[in-house]
Amino acid sequence: MKFKSQRVAYLFFATSLLLFSLQIVFGFIMGFAHMGYDVLHEWIPFHAARASHLNLLVVWLLSGFMGAAYYIIPAEADREIWSEKLAIVQWAALVIVGVIAIAGFHVGWWEGRKFLEIPRPLDYLVVVDVLLFVFNVGMTAWNGKRFTTTGMVLLLGLVAAALLYLPGMITFDSQVIDSYFRWWVVHLWVEGVWELIMGGILAFLLIELTGVDREVIEKWLYVIVGFTFLSGILGTGHHYYYIGTPEYWLWIGGIFSALEPLAFLGMALYAVTMARRGGMNHPNRIALFWTVGCGVMSFVGAGFLGFAHTLPQVNLWTHGTIITAMHGHMAFWGAYAMLVLAMISYAMPQMTGRKLYGGWIPEWAFWISNVGMLGMTGAFAVAGIGQVYMERRIGMDFLVVQDAVSVHFGGVVLAACLLTLGILMFIWNFVQYGLPSDEAVTGP
Amino acid sequence: MLSKSQARWFFVGGTIFFFAIFLFLTVDTMREIPMRQNSAALTDSAIRGKHLWDTSNCMGCHTILGEGAYYAPELTQVVERRGKEWIRIFLRDPEAMFPGQRKMQQYDFTEEQITDVIAFLEWIGGIDTNGFPPEPDLRPASMPAVATTAGPTPDYFGTVCIACHSVAGTGGTVGPVLDGVGLRMTRAELDRWLADPQAVKPGTAMPNLALPDSTRNELVTWLVSLR
Repeated sequence: MKFKSQRVAYLFFATSLLLFSLQIVFGFIMGFAHMGYDVLHEWIPFHAARASHLNLLVVWLLSGFMGAAYYIIPAEADREIWSEKLAIVQWAALVIVGVIAIAGFHVGWWEGRKFLEIPRPLDYLVVVDVLLFVFNVGMTAWNGKRFTTTGMVLLLGLVAAALLYLPGMITFDSQVIDSYFRWWVVHLWVEGVWELIMGGILAFLLIELTGVDREVIEKWLYVIVGFTFLSGILGTGHHYYYIGTPEYWLWIGGIFSALEPLAFLGMALYAVTMARRGGMNHPNRIALFWTVGCGVMSFVGAGFLGFAHTLPQVNLWTHGTIITAMHGHMAFWGAYAMLVLAMISYAMPQMTGRKLYGGWIPEWAFWISNVGMLGMTGAFAVAGIGQVYMERRIGMDFLVVQDAVSVHFGGVVLAACLLTLGILMFIWNFVQYGLPSDEAVTGP
Repeated sequence: MLSKSQARWFFVGGTIFFFAIFLFLTVDTMREIPMRQNSAALTDSAIRGKHLWDTSNCMGCHTILGEGAYYAPELTQVVERRGKEWIRIFLRDPEAMFPGQRKMQQYDFTEEQITDVIAFLEWIGGIDTNGFPPEPDLRPASMPAVATTAGPTPDYFGTVCIACHSVAGTGGTVGPVLDGVGLRMTRAELDRWLADPQAVKPGTAMPNLALPDSTRNELVTWLVSLR
């Protein structure tokens, strides 16, 4: 790494991996409950596990994005982080808010608003924390020696993500309006501004790992994030088909969300083409694996599987079924989980000066976790298709259908074991790297 | 070939253009929602019900308007499907209705709170959702009702009892089939059973429904005629 203060990213990466592990634990609790073994019902009922699973995901990804930004923004701006101390304070605040939130879910301190379960008082702390973060990386970029497209797109994504958290904090009496603005946060995050963050991080990784000319990579970055907003903003309409909003959302949402896979196809082609053009000869092959894998799997999960049930004619039947879980798992994994893991794989040797990317462990971690996630997606798909036909089309009773598809949750749990093994290997490799070292600082 | 500045304009211009359309549609949607959302039923009670819905994180297991988790049934049309009385009994003790099956939290709601939750669900059921949830289109043609000597099915049986018991092939599978129950039990036995199932058979999964005398009499009269 060029600057000493970039090491602060390590704190965020370590936090990410810890929370990811915890997220998987809650996932297992729910998987077993779906199989009929809700043995923890008295202590961790399903909705507590569910709220924890979702919010741990959001927090570990945000923590990963913050770590990535603290690494990338100084590199792009060509200077130290504006205040390393503030970064550490902001990290500690994030951890404290996260711990309170997850503990709160277990004593019923929450709001039943999917993905935004954190209660309002904590929301304000989240906002303060994110403002501190944005201020810190913003000042770093503002006082930087250079302004790069990669840095600016990443920063724009982070600022926009912070702003878009606000519509989710307004209180409404109507469930319809409440839901309408909840999607402003959730959809415009994951299918909007988070893709800016994704594009920015991918561009940085591709520049560093492939050696392809920055101008070429950044030009296509604009094209891809351009497609993201062209399709993704009005694509929000696919959440407005059946919640009490006007009928015109059926065709507006249908058309624009059908275009959404293009942005992810762009990400996939982008990563693959640039990697090939660079000749795939960077020594940190495993970071390149995760980078290219992220582009490809985001297309499979977010693009292709999203398209599979986004048209209103299909969604009428699949809306609110396990099909959504099928798409959700693969999409978050491909687009955002793999992105953070790519960033960690790239940054660790740079921060510690140790080159531990060559062995079989990191490579197998990549393949095993991906096969595990594909298996889970397949099992969710079979359960979901069964549910749609039996419950929605034939009209069988909910519990009878759940009983019939519970066997596929055995498949989900088995595949999740593979995923867990892969992630444990990744974490093992991460621990082996040790802490960031001052000797690894190369200077500007 | 596309230049970098053209690419930038594509991004900036496209984003501003589509976000402007999105804002315009949002304003229009906010204008339309009051006409589509069954506003007359959005009473203070329903709003209190929404608050209970949120603070209990019901969406952590159920879906409503198709949004939430997939562990428990979709509730958009639940008042139409089950009836208010069924929901009230269920919320008093969720496990009484489906003993030994997937569990729901016991929230210990007061009767007023249950009224509020039902008002909320009733409001939701009246929203114009563009046809969600759809009617099952592959449902087998319903079987002709088995001829019984019994009179018309009491409302209470059709909404509450039927969740667990079946008659003439329709109903739940939690409790025993009640075809011919009039041959197996006398009027007095049925009456005692419905008044307090635990007293007759300790440990039974059948809940004490605390029926008013008139409803119990109506049910018993009808049940003994099932022969």
